[in-house]
Amino acid sequence: MYKNAVVIFLFLLVCLTGCAGSGSLSAKPIKLPDPAQADLNGSLILSLGGEVSIINPILLTDTSSSAIEGTIFTGLTTINEKLEVVPDLAKSWDVSADGKIWTFHLRSDVKWHDGQPFTADDVVFTFNSILNPKVNSVRRSDFIIDGEPIKFRALDNLTVQAFLPRPFAPFLTHTGMSLIPKHLLEGKDINTAEFNRRPVGTGPFKFKEWVTGDHVIVVRNDNYYLGKPKLAQIIFKIIPDENSMLVALEAGEVDSAGVPPKDYRRLKAKEGLNVFEYDALTYTYLAFNLANPKFQDKRVRQALAYATNKEQLVKLIFKGLASPAYAPSVPISWAYSDAVEKYPYNPEKARQLLKEAGTENLSFTILTNQGNKEREKAAVILQQQFEKVGIEVNVRVMEWSALLKIINAPKGPKDFDAVLMGWSLGLDPDAYSIWHSSQYPVGFNFIDYRNTAVDRLLARGRTTLNQAERKKIYAKLWQIIAADQPYLFLWYPKSIEAIRERVGGLSRPGPAGLMLHLEKIFVTK
Amino acid sequence: MKTFLWRRIIQFIPLIFGVSLLSFFVMHLAPGDPTSLFTNPNIDPRELARIRANWGLDQPIYLQYFYWLGNLLRGNLGTSYTTGQPVLQEILARLPATLMLMIPAYILTLLITIPLGVICAVKKDSWFDNLITIFSFAGMATPSFWLGLVLMLIFAVQLHWLPAVGISEISATNQSMLARGIDFLRHLILPLSTMVLLSLAGITRYQRAAMLEVLNQDYIRTARAKGLPERMVIYKHALKNALIPIVTIIGLSLPDLFGGAFIIETIFAWPGMGRLGVMAIFQRNYPLIMGIVVFSALLIMLGNLLADLAYAWVDPRIRYAKK
Repeated sequence: MYKNAVVIFLFLLVCLTGCAGSGSLSAKPIKLPDPAQADLNGSLILSLGGEVSIINPILLTDTSSSAIEGTIFTGLTTINEKLEVVPDLAKSWDVSADGKIWTFHLRSDVKWHDGQPFTADDVVFTFNSILNPKVNSVRRSDFIIDGEPIKFRALDNLTVQAFLPRPFAPFLTHTGMSLIPKHLLEGKDINTAEFNRRPVGTGPFKFKEWVTGDHVIVVRNDNYYLGKPKLAQIIFKIIPDENSMLVALEAGEVDSAGVPPKDYRRLKAKEGLNVFEYDALTYTYLAFNLANPKFQDKRVRQALAYATNKEQLVKLIFKGLASPAYAPSVPISWAYSDAVEKYPYNPEKARQLLKEAGTENLSFTILTNQGNKEREKAAVILQQQFEKVGIEVNVRVMEWSALLKIINAPKGPKDFDAVLMGWSLGLDPDAYSIWHSSQYPVGFNFIDYRNTAVDRLLARGRTTLNQAERKKIYAKLWQIIAADQPYLFLWYPKSIEAIRERVGGLSRPGPAGLMLHLEKIFVTK
Repeated sequence: MKTFLWRRIIQFIPLIFGVSLLSFFVMHLAPGDPTSLFTNPNIDPRELARIRANWGLDQPIYLQYFYWLGNLLRGNLGTSYTTGQPVLQEILARLPATLMLMIPAYILTLLITIPLGVICAVKKDSWFDNLITIFSFAGMATPSFWLGLVLMLIFAVQLHWLPAVGISEISATNQSMLARGIDFLRHLILPLSTMVLLSLAGITRYQRAAMLEVLNQDYIRTARAKGLPERMVIYKHALKNALIPIVTIIGLSLPDLFGGAFIIETIFAWPGMGRLGVMAIFQRNYPLIMGIVVFSALLIMLGNLLADLAYAWVDPRIRYAKK
């Protein structure tokens, strides 16, 4: 009798949840508000999935802190919707003929939020702080070229020069680094400064309030140099659970939230919401440990590529919200080229290659990190696809730190067969840290990939400044890497973001996000 | 009594030392380190080694422990790696929200479960007892994240009666005290209900079992035999004795008040200690983990001490004599 009652009770509860989420499922078009209806006293409420730790651009390492930092601080340069570097605090710049001296001309109308003028000294102070070994900045290596730091000097109040030891193409994208005020931080221990909880910047919004673990508020900077922002304030609400974030969005408590693929169709059909999908600067791969005898033969790796049905993989996991990957670059990058060997699904060919390589009874283990459902599913699907060509695969899901301990082991050969992970790429196509043979065993070439042609191209790619020439270099590079298949490239995920229809002034959806021009964002009443 | 108290309090010192020593070394056995989360192809691993050295993590572990202990003796719990702020400040910032959720949840749970347990024991095998048993097991079997989300979907999304997440309406900061109080209560209802609904089972079952045991004792039969009214038998003779095991359980769960409830806090975006602690472990934020461990250890000891004192109050046979 008890049993029946429990079953009925649970059934009722399940019904309640089931009913709560139903509705029509046809996608509706994007509906943007009229800028004339902008509410100049309006607040935008954004959700953050992780805790905010430190609001200082040179110290932060997490995405939540970074999202807030981006509203308060600005850098010498920024990026546009096409991911090109464009002027920000520097109104222009020029580079010497040898590519080693960069001169930045600063805007003269910029003030810090406390009213002090922004000058070249602040720029020099910021970069010298990053380079100071006592400051815990992970950005330091951006400003060191082959072991030599870049030198920064203020020519006058509004001109800054950077002296590079040798030409270095990725340098320009690193000048997007947000700048910090010298007058508030000089002589202080930046790692522990009170400033990191009450920041002062040059951006469109000023810091107002931070309630630990709960929210951060930034308010309009009336003196912003690109014009007065239309929003009175932005509230960042910390909601660590992905499902709760969506509930809060549907309850109208936040204006935007990231959407996991499983909720995409439901939210796309929802009244009052605009759902945007756009490409991200990341790719997911299965990396083979080349120091491991199992994968030393190129034919084995190519066989695995032929044995992988990427279209099916992407369809099963993402329902169309990702695309198959073939090269270690992303389609939205200017340096992308798909003139590479794509290994179309062909189990017959895979079997033949394995036979030629003399490894018909291959068995190996795929490691992946816990907490990423897509990767866990992919490992299992790959297991099934490889089984069809007679390869036995074990899947091991590990805690992130435990996994990193294996792949970051200070000495080779490292103790793994294959790892399913992803890389987030920078704005510059330079991939030296991932593929150059010098980046093993310490570095991110953790699979011990060595190819002298690749090493040469990587070195040329980062020292050549001409973009058309670089494009050719990287096209060749991707071609060689795809032929070698040290990674099996899997997919490019899409970012999906839902924003309430009351939010306008959005930029074109892209990896730079939807709020590239924060001063133009508005909400209606 | 006084000597008993002092003796117990002095015993805390070696205990804290032992607990911190053990947790420090166990913590360092976990793979990875605080810079693991920064892994990114654009960050040179040598920079991470430099940052670890800045934090003193390149020193032998026993030395790191002595530095930490030395600082603790000077009342300094260290600096959090992720925020650069003092650990004590990090913990204190989370404490109010934690207590504001945990204390009402705790009191409410006791207020409901103790009478329920008593009624169930007295009316053993009645329809009421059976119903409560069913609810108790359903409560035990229900995951908190699921119940939390269901409540949110009903009361926040469908009915719009209550807010889904957070501790207060952020735009309400410049309202009157009363309005802010009401706002806080509205935010409290859902997480509080989730917690209470799910923890009903445990103490109700304990109370029921303890009460049943007492009701079978000879002195209860004697009390009934001498013609005492049933009410008197239950509330005076039985309940007081049946409370002893409950006091132990209550004492032991005192650290939870401080430790927070990770899942509930995550679901309802409640800025409590549970989230801080779990986050600290994921990030291998050693100073913060140690700070929380020391705090929790102190509270467990305090909880035990309070439970011991409460025994003397509920059970006249227990007395802490002066020696």
